[in-house]
Amino acid sequence: MFTLSATDIVKKFKAKEISAVEITAAFLDRAEKENLGSLLSVLRTRAMKRAKDLDEKFLSGKSVGALAAVPVIIKDNIMIDGEICTCGSRFLENYTATYDATVIKDLENEDAIIIAKSNMDEFAMGSSTATSAFKRCDNPWNTDYTPGGSSGGSCAAVAAGLAPISLGSDTGGSVRQPAAFCGIYGFKPTYGRVSRYGLVAFASSLDQIGPFARNIDDLALINEVIAKPCQKDSTSIQTPAEKTSKTLSGSIKGLKIGSPTDMLEGLHPDILSAYNAFINTCKELGAEIVNISLPHNKYSVPVYYILAPAEASTNLARFDGIRYTKRSSNAKSLAEVYELSRSEGFGNEVVQRILLGTYVLSAGFQDAYYRKAQKVRAKICEDFEIAFKTCDVIAFPTTPFPAFKHGSITDPVAMYKQDIFTISANMAGLPALSIPSGFTKEGLPIGIQVQGAQMEDGKVLNVAKAFESKTNYHTMRPSEKGVSL
Amino acid sequence: MSSNYGEFEAIIGLEIHCQLNTKTKLFGREPNNFGAEPNANIGFVDTGQPGALPVINEEAVKKAVRFGLAVGGKIREISYFDRKSYFYPDCPFNYQITQFYKPIIDGGSITCDVDGEQMHFTIEHTHMENDSGKLVHFPDFTGVDFNRSGAPLIEIVSDPCIRSPRQASAYASAIRSILLYMNCSDCNMQEGHLRMDANISVRLKGEKELRPKAEIKNMNSFHNMELAIEAEIQSQISFYRKNPDKRIKTGTYRFDLEKQKTILMRAKETANDYRYFPEPDLPPLVLEPSFIKEIKESLPELPVAKKERFIHTLGLSKYFADLLVDDKLLCDYFEEGQKICKNPKAYCNWLVVEFAARANEINKHIKELQIPPKHVAELVNLIESGRITGKMAKEIADLMCKNPNLSPEAIASSDERFKPMNDTSALELIIEKIVTDNPESIADYKDGKDKAFQFLVGQVMQKTKGTASPPLVREILLKKIGE
Repeated sequence: MFTLSATDIVKKFKAKEISAVEITAAFLDRAEKENLGSLLSVLRTRAMKRAKDLDEKFLSGKSVGALAAVPVIIKDNIMIDGEICTCGSRFLENYTATYDATVIKDLENEDAIIIAKSNMDEFAMGSSTATSAFKRCDNPWNTDYTPGGSSGGSCAAVAAGLAPISLGSDTGGSVRQPAAFCGIYGFKPTYGRVSRYGLVAFASSLDQIGPFARNIDDLALINEVIAKPCQKDSTSIQTPAEKTSKTLSGSIKGLKIGSPTDMLEGLHPDILSAYNAFINTCKELGAEIVNISLPHNKYSVPVYYILAPAEASTNLARFDGIRYTKRSSNAKSLAEVYELSRSEGFGNEVVQRILLGTYVLSAGFQDAYYRKAQKVRAKICEDFEIAFKTCDVIAFPTTPFPAFKHGSITDPVAMYKQDIFTISANMAGLPALSIPSGFTKEGLPIGIQVQGAQMEDGKVLNVAKAFESKTNYHTMRPSEKGVSL
Repeated sequence: MSSNYGEFEAIIGLEIHCQLNTKTKLFGREPNNFGAEPNANIGFVDTGQPGALPVINEEAVKKAVRFGLAVGGKIREISYFDRKSYFYPDCPFNYQITQFYKPIIDGGSITCDVDGEQMHFTIEHTHMENDSGKLVHFPDFTGVDFNRSGAPLIEIVSDPCIRSPRQASAYASAIRSILLYMNCSDCNMQEGHLRMDANISVRLKGEKELRPKAEIKNMNSFHNMELAIEAEIQSQISFYRKNPDKRIKTGTYRFDLEKQKTILMRAKETANDYRYFPEPDLPPLVLEPSFIKEIKESLPELPVAKKERFIHTLGLSKYFADLLVDDKLLCDYFEEGQKICKNPKAYCNWLVVEFAARANEINKHIKELQIPPKHVAELVNLIESGRITGKMAKEIADLMCKNPNLSPEAIASSDERFKPMNDTSALELIIEKIVTDNPESIADYKDGKDKAFQFLVGQVMQKTKGTASPPLVREILLKKIGE
């Protein structure tokens, strides 16, 4: 059952082979038993009730949604009314959401069953899920390794078969990098295509909710459910999205794929081989390869670590010990409520980024840092505009290296460089997908990334659909590699 | 209050924060009401819940644009919102969403009367922003009421073009009047709909550079603002007279009404760095030219134009025109009845003298008498047509106050008392006698003294106990004098 795709679960449920209660109970039992540290809370009561209601609705002859009875796992920075939402932080350990995020409403309208909230880097700040205040999350392919981050929990859970699909959030690669590390699909839609309403903001101009899945049809299905205009998010794209579950042809004949050859230096050799193999497969499928250049991509990491902390320093200002976050019991004055609550509530990585963000926005420094970074961001966007004049999509590796061992990267800058290939898509608001594309000699998954111009989400997904028809990487499961749950 | 500061001159700029009277808040969809139970009108945005996002209220934008057009400002077709960071418990996000770099309205000007002199003041810009909540202090703790949090504000920032406390309050009153007539705000001072900050510095006349300024924050009365500004000017002048080479400390002050003194709250050295930067949750505010045009075309009459019209078209005195326009409720009342009234001047008189006095006696505004404006107009029309006399009208007015639903017509026809003396032959006899008894008045009248004629009319009215119809009296009187 745990290897079933979302599409298969819907089919079996609709064929009355299995009830929503049976599916849900099985997944909940498994989630509670062993989950690699990928989950922060299991929503048994809520899930069982919804499953029961769904069975009754179905038996009474009513029509059911596109995700009927499919167990879904949600990153713990997305609001579910009445459920705890920690953001991986002690500060919000006891915070109960008072409303549903738009994506939660969308999923439940289509009868998905949300079974758990997943582990994450604190406030989505990290690339290994190691800044979570609660627990370590392991890579299902090898538990000595990190699943990546910040959406490591949602990703590891799907890779390990705890659910066929899940949601994460991607600010600088937080969906795509773990997807590459865990050998599944991770998609960051065009900025504004999925509502951010109810997603705890990290860097508002870069944040985007995105799905994980083990096959492209599942990914297209959940993407279609959440990619909608939303009146509650002013940055939401107001035109309707294409029906990605129906438009994928699987043909990329004549598609022009841009290859930024200047970015391929210094790659892990197995990743370079996987990339070349990816390109060759695409050629065999009839695609045309075009050399392109993204000369400003090399600045994307420093620019990101100015802009994202700047926005974060204000987004996280609301966590102040006054209304809902934990208030320090040692505070004796208003200033101490702020200072002590925040220093006790936030972990080191978060404090570091708030300080960085506050600094780059301060009077006297804003021109040198924040404004200059905005200018470089514009240059990075320009690179893409030029590139997309000669190609339809761009392909390059999701990460320069495969998954690393827990605790092996201690230098923050080395950790930040993890995002060198993923950040620019957030800068330019582009749709970007990590596709399972091979394994290293040690058996660690490799992801190749396809990016498209804004609003070309379907084109990006279609490349994966085509690649999937020629390869079987997406069918590989961790257990088959000898790493058991 | 003198604006003569000897060798010194005062330089004053005002920032007026005005709460717009929209149905809902600026970025959330909760009611924008005053006076509800604490924390009754709150939502996810206005309490700063994680994941909540701001969505701009179009009604607020329209009201801001309407104000901008009314003061002749330039409406920016693309303006931006920025985050202004500071920590305070009444500020739920710990940043305010405001327009720091590219505000919605650039420039604008105000012309108003300052102690009889027409003066011109210029507005630097007007921007939109959200209001904060309110701290409520109890003996052993402090609470936060977020009802006001997210209320839409426009901040109207003047140029440093004001030179005296009187000018400051005249400018602020003129702004208030515009906000009221444009239906941008209810402008209720007690409820804090208008809050003013004044930036004040003084310098020697002829000096080019501005000296350091004091900012007095959060004043919500024009009178107290005048007192505060005057006190601050005097304090700066006396400082410079004693210390001609020194400068005052730039800082934020508050006015202590009892001591009649401004008190330093925060010197500039410890002022906040607000770290303004573009609000990433809101795209640029783009106003289509057609949107602006539509508002422009539906703009109501400006108070200044209204006064002009009252004086020149309706023939009211400047005193009455000011009186009406400065009280929007009264003015709206006037305008409604005036539509059907044959004599606007008489109608205005009846309104602001007779009915206002009757309302005043019971401590009410004329509007609270609940008399439909057209009834007052009808009363005046009855006098004009000679149907009733002025004396009868006064009595009918009393009855109208007691029975606001009854029309003057209905009251007049319900009682014989209100029947004018239309018996021409009886009236002729009375008038003949009066003409005979007052030869000197006749002679005066023939010498061109109008007053003599009025005296004779008065005599007739007295004799008939006010029941004679004045037009008829005048007619017969003229005829008899002519004989």
